[in-house]
Amino acid sequence: MKHELHGEMIHIATGGLDFDNNKPVLLFLHGSGQSHLTWVLQSRYFAHRGFAVLAPDLPGHGLSDGTPLASIEEMADWSVALLDSLQVASATYVAHSQGVLVALDAAARHPQHVSALALIAGAMAIPVNDMLIEMSQHQPDKAFEMMTSWGHGPGAHKFDNTQPGHSFLGYGRRVMAQNDGAALHADLVACNRYVSGPTAAAAITQPSLCLIAGRDRMTPAKFGHKMAATIPGATSCTFDRAGHFLPAEFPLEVNESLVAFLAR
Amino acid sequence: MSDDYKFDTLSLHAGHVPDPQFGSRAVPIHQTTSYVFRDTEHAAALYNMELGGHLYTRISNPTVAVLEQRVAALEGGVAATATASGMAALTTAVMTICSSGDHIVASSRMYGANINLLENTLPRFGITTTFVAPDDPDAIAAAIQPNTKIIFGEVIGNPGLDIMDVAAVGEVASKAHVPLMLDCTFNTPWLLKPIELGANIIIHSLTKWMGGHGIAIGGAVVDGGNFDWGRDDRFPTIAGPHYAMNEINFHEEFGPAAFTAKFRAEGMYNFGPSMSPTNAFHILQGLETLPLRMQRHMDNTAAMLEFLTSHDAVAWVKHPTLPDHPSHQLVQRMLPRGAGSIIVFGLKGGRAAGKAFIEAVELASHLANVGDAKTLVIHPASTTHSHISAEAMVEGGLSDDMIRLSVGLEDINDITTDFELGFRAAARVAAKAAE
Repeated sequence: MKHELHGEMIHIATGGLDFDNNKPVLLFLHGSGQSHLTWVLQSRYFAHRGFAVLAPDLPGHGLSDGTPLASIEEMADWSVALLDSLQVASATYVAHSQGVLVALDAAARHPQHVSALALIAGAMAIPVNDMLIEMSQHQPDKAFEMMTSWGHGPGAHKFDNTQPGHSFLGYGRRVMAQNDGAALHADLVACNRYVSGPTAAAAITQPSLCLIAGRDRMTPAKFGHKMAATIPGATSCTFDRAGHFLPAEFPLEVNESLVAFLAR
Repeated sequence: MSDDYKFDTLSLHAGHVPDPQFGSRAVPIHQTTSYVFRDTEHAAALYNMELGGHLYTRISNPTVAVLEQRVAALEGGVAATATASGMAALTTAVMTICSSGDHIVASSRMYGANINLLENTLPRFGITTTFVAPDDPDAIAAAIQPNTKIIFGEVIGNPGLDIMDVAAVGEVASKAHVPLMLDCTFNTPWLLKPIELGANIIIHSLTKWMGGHGIAIGGAVVDGGNFDWGRDDRFPTIAGPHYAMNEINFHEEFGPAAFTAKFRAEGMYNFGPSMSPTNAFHILQGLETLPLRMQRHMDNTAAMLEFLTSHDAVAWVKHPTLPDHPSHQLVQRMLPRGAGSIIVFGLKGGRAAGKAFIEAVELASHLANVGDAKTLVIHPASTTHSHISAEAMVEGGLSDDMIRLSVGLEDINDITTDFELGFRAAARVAAKAAE
């Protein structure tokens, strides 16, 4: 659906059903240089299982208008403003990669809006090397290629896919190319600058689940485990053969983990 | 920069990881119509495109999916869908994009069935085509109308061997916001990956070089994922509410794979042009050796060109790598590994000599296919293009005496020896006619 927020028209995937804020709301937050398409195999799945799904494109990403946001804190505030504008008191934040930082920050600073956290392929800090940041600004196509390659596990590199005929690598590059040219650079800079993750994680009181990708080269598994150990009461599950794009590579397993978590 | 597997490795491995239950190293043939659902929720999820998976072999099949993923990998697309034949691929791709009232700009120099579909069949369903020369990007641009929904051509034309400048036509298509769909049967991704030059959708007859063994009919449609179906309202069945699945919007739901999502959800579902799992298995065996075969095809083609161009019995020879071909310079730039293994030539003595040649050769096979591992010959005017009008034949650059040679992988000396046999027969006919 299209929704106006802060004077900008944004796109929100609702899983093929009209958004209904009377249902329990799942807010899906994508990662750096991504869009709602991170959640292709989650949004329809949960929308048809009794949840109200919001998988927005951040400003300047995917099908949303606007300028990419400059910091993780701004993204967290934006997510809360989005919920407010849709009369949603609180939501379960389901977040991937950079979205994990946004979710941690939102949970720490706006705890009343975050009822639970499902943190996928994330960490409490996502430092980005200078070479990639510079590449994202001056040679974005190369950055898309590198991140898509690094971001996928061994099965994806052999073009194994649960979706018949699909290519993770080809699709991943095209998803990133659909964004505003400045989106990836802004995201990487925001990730690199964000240092409040450990403090935010330690302060979390909401139920939390960490889904960790064993072959993650973007946010290596050891950092996911560290995050799970820092968040009070968090549970975790590791997918040994998965790369960073865990929601796409192992969709059924991820969805079943989320179903169990949401049914707690 | 990237640790992605390279072309030769992908030819062998892409799309297949040994299954955890039996560990079959070869791709298993899943000869089944249907798949047992885990439960009713799982069934609903598959029907509703909430998850990937297989529900009925008309829509998808695990063996066919390996082939699809391998073709997508080799072409650099976001997805591929295999079909029963190359013509099924083209027809379903057109039907996925076009509706009654839409228009296509297409090359005038293509495979006869491609032309027939566009010229004679599709108009009955309200889809019309303007044919233009494939090597004239300006003419292609001029033929575009407000209702044009596809620009279509062959990278290497069959059988006239006209070459389309993919980058130039891609620019025309991009400016007009019309998807560029290319039949890449003759080039294969080993010679050219047109998505990298701006093509949006790739059509293959996998029956030919991709399979290479001449044992299985099949086709594929590769989605480049690089066309913005939602930029305006010109593609409402892809980027607007669709009748299926609660008015699903494929563009919004599946992004760069929107075309493929609709192709499978509507094209495979409603038209049913599915490939059999056994054919997919056979074609996969061929694909494993595509790089090796293509190199040998190019080597033998180069040797045959030298043989034919210097032979007294031959009146003319056409191949894009020859200096007198109008696209020679383009080919050097765009197709550095070669311009395919089809050669067309005419014999001194015209049509009668050609007929005698085809009937005299013993190693080369006289049949309708191309791209086989074995050397093939045919006379297009009386066979593959016999349903084309005389005007279209001329427009297509086809002459009455043309012989189409598909150079195989045999020892080159055996091919040339066989051709000498044919040339002697042709010479006898020519001499008799001259008496």
